[in-house]
Amino acid sequence: MIDPLNASLRIAGAGLQAQSTRVRVVSENLANAQATGTTRGADPYRRKTVTFENTMDRALGASLVKIKGVGVDKAPFRVEFEPSHPAADDKGYVKMPNVSLLLEMADMREANRSYEANLQMIKQARSMQSMTIDLLRNG
Amino acid sequence: MEPIHLFDLAAKQSHWLAVRQNAVSQNIANANTPRYTAVDVEPFEAIVRKTTLSVAATAPNHITSTPAETLTARPRKSDGWGTVHSGNSVSLEQEMLKAGDISRNYAFTTNIVKSFHRMMMTAIRG
Repeated sequence: MIDPLNASLRIAGAGLQAQSTRVRVVSENLANAQATGTTRGADPYRRKTVTFENTMDRALGASLVKIKGVGVDKAPFRVEFEPSHPAADDKGYVKMPNVSLLLEMADMREANRSYEANLQMIKQARSMQSMTIDLLRNG
Repeated sequence: MEPIHLFDLAAKQSHWLAVRQNAVSQNIANANTPRYTAVDVEPFEAIVRKTTLSVAATAPNHITSTPAETLTARPRKSDGWGTVHSGNSVSLEQEMLKAGDISRNYAFTTNIVKSFHRMMMTAIRG
């Protein structure tokens, strides 16, 4: 097992990576919130979800977080009546993506909060290391 | 010669704090992982009590408990503030409180070592 402070830097680094992937998925969802199909009755963009899992890192002796996978939301699509749209079906309804802006914003806030917490851990581990090194000063 | 007890204790305390910092980092990194249970280390008092009660080795084939062995703080289930629906029991607020506590205690320990060292140097220099 390596020095616990270095290990905590790595753990928090893995956390930062996981949370930034989550923000990326949120921005993909937001960018595609209006992305409909182009042919008659085609499916629009389907909302993506991200799941985390913790894996035991044997070399580190600690459990890191990583992305388990990026899945899709099975929720039904919204439909809007718009007969002139190229993706409209026979009755004139267009399927819109199942992205909820409110949900994405909440998810983004949570990712942001977790990212900040991980960043705080890195700062703290660094300051603890420099406190130890400072013992050598004025010796 | 008997090692100077305060330095020994301070080294132990700072190692324990580093291990605890590691546990807090793990909890924060896994703050959004489903079915993750928050971990914590054994309290420092328990570790000190355990190390003072170690058995002395009187023969070469006796197994001694080295300080490093007794100090490996194993993560244990912490008393979390609550579990969310996904089965995750990490509370970021609680972890931040713990982190502040660790930082404060670490500064305290290193400052004690620093001042004790300065006192010794004063005594040596005369």
